[in-house]
Amino acid sequence: MKTMSFYGHTPPGMGEEPVPGRIIVVEGTDGVGRSTQIAMLQEWLEAEGYAVLVSGFRRSEVAASGIDRAMRGNTLDALTLNLLYATDFWDRMERSIVPALRTGMVALVDRYIFSIIARARVRGVPLGWLNDVFEFALVPDRVLFLDVDVEHLLPRVLSVRQMDHWESGEDFLRGPDLYDNFIRYQAALIKEFRGLAKQHNFVMVDARGTVGEVFRTLQGEVREALKDMGSE
Amino acid sequence: MATLQSNHAYSMGERYGQHPDDGEYPGRLIIVEGIDGSGKSTQVDLLQKWLRSRNLVTVFTEWNSSPIVKRTTKQAKVNELLTPMSFSLIHAADFASRVHAQILPALRAGAIVLADRYVYTAFARDATRGVNRDWVRRIYSFAVQPTLALYFRVPLDVSIERIGSGRADMKFYEAGQDMGFSNNRQESFRIFQNKLLDEYEGMTEEFGLITIDATLPIAVQQQQVRRYVEPLIEDSMEVGGQSVPEALGHAGLSGRYITDPPRRRLTEQDILRLERSRD
Repeated sequence: MKTMSFYGHTPPGMGEEPVPGRIIVVEGTDGVGRSTQIAMLQEWLEAEGYAVLVSGFRRSEVAASGIDRAMRGNTLDALTLNLLYATDFWDRMERSIVPALRTGMVALVDRYIFSIIARARVRGVPLGWLNDVFEFALVPDRVLFLDVDVEHLLPRVLSVRQMDHWESGEDFLRGPDLYDNFIRYQAALIKEFRGLAKQHNFVMVDARGTVGEVFRTLQGEVREALKDMGSE
Repeated sequence: MATLQSNHAYSMGERYGQHPDDGEYPGRLIIVEGIDGSGKSTQVDLLQKWLRSRNLVTVFTEWNSSPIVKRTTKQAKVNELLTPMSFSLIHAADFASRVHAQILPALRAGAIVLADRYVYTAFARDATRGVNRDWVRRIYSFAVQPTLALYFRVPLDVSIERIGSGRADMKFYEAGQDMGFSNNRQESFRIFQNKLLDEYEGMTEEFGLITIDATLPIAVQQQQVRRYVEPLIEDSMEVGGQSVPEALGHAGLSGRYITDPPRRRLTEQDILRLERSRD
């Protein structure tokens, strides 16, 4: 059993209780290959006999459609978006992640509070306030960070799909050039992520390798994180 | 000119409690607080009419009304999906959106912003729902410090009598039924409101809210309100040219509701109808 712990105060309805499950977070910027790796990890873990919950952004019943709706408008500011993401995150934590941990599942979480914080930081939201907001978040057993620089990110994004408005920070960056905005925005995001990585002891995984290479590294880390699971 | 700053009284220690759009503003922010049935909305409405009659630019904003957030909140409430923390966070999102899109621009322009409920509503309701008091205050640290904050104090029996004990449209969350105080909606409402009153009492001192005795006749309360407001509105932004009533008068229009059409609240049926019409 592992005891649940939180970044700040313990939120209502939860306690620092022992739970049989584990929570593993995969973080990284847009297009770095998180979803592919998560799908592969899920396949593998289920084959190994673990019950797995996969949870990703904007999947909550409470706020998912509201965020989509808000992002279609043009008056959405960084604080509001951050608080909508916080609502979405809390709802998933309260109603799917924590119940999964209590029943002994492995929760594989595609992006965590760090993505929300990094996005808000590059839009000028103070870190002190962001840390306050996400005090209620559960401290994961492992944060696996898919690390890449913009130069290596570019070919991946271009070969899969076109550059996206939000992934290029075009809600706040000036200038008509999508390419420039994408580079500037992603470089700033990656910088924020690397700062958070030091602060929160991320496991840095070099994402420049092939899908298979990255997967084998992740497998090793996940195996390590789960090694004493179920033996208590 | 009065200068408004974000209320760092909410933030503990270092001054990060500032809205990213923050600056110095010539406007005024006047807010009213109190439990349901305290009469605060009537008073702020009368205040707005008075300010308008003096040719001043006023902007009204009320709790839980952001065009980009409120539909999400409404749906979650109708489906009873909200827990104390999601209730708290989604109302903070609504507030943040109104600070950005309504309150700050109006204050920068020099208008008088009137707010029916402010951060203190969140502080009272969220604490009553068991959310960490200190955390809620820090979450709202981006809020603008009001120029004047009026709390309409009313005993529970009076407010309940005003609302009407058999109010049929009382909703699940309004009655605090998510907290399991009682299965009986009226009974739950009473328990919930009593707890809110306790929170407000503590906050009058904590935040220096000015207390108005809300059992007094409406006109007497309004005189008191205007006495507090009067010194704050010198050199406030005026409506250009002629006053609103004058302009309407020239157009041959007059009457009590001309300048201020009654605000109708969206009902759950309205929301459902809107939803259906979108599909």
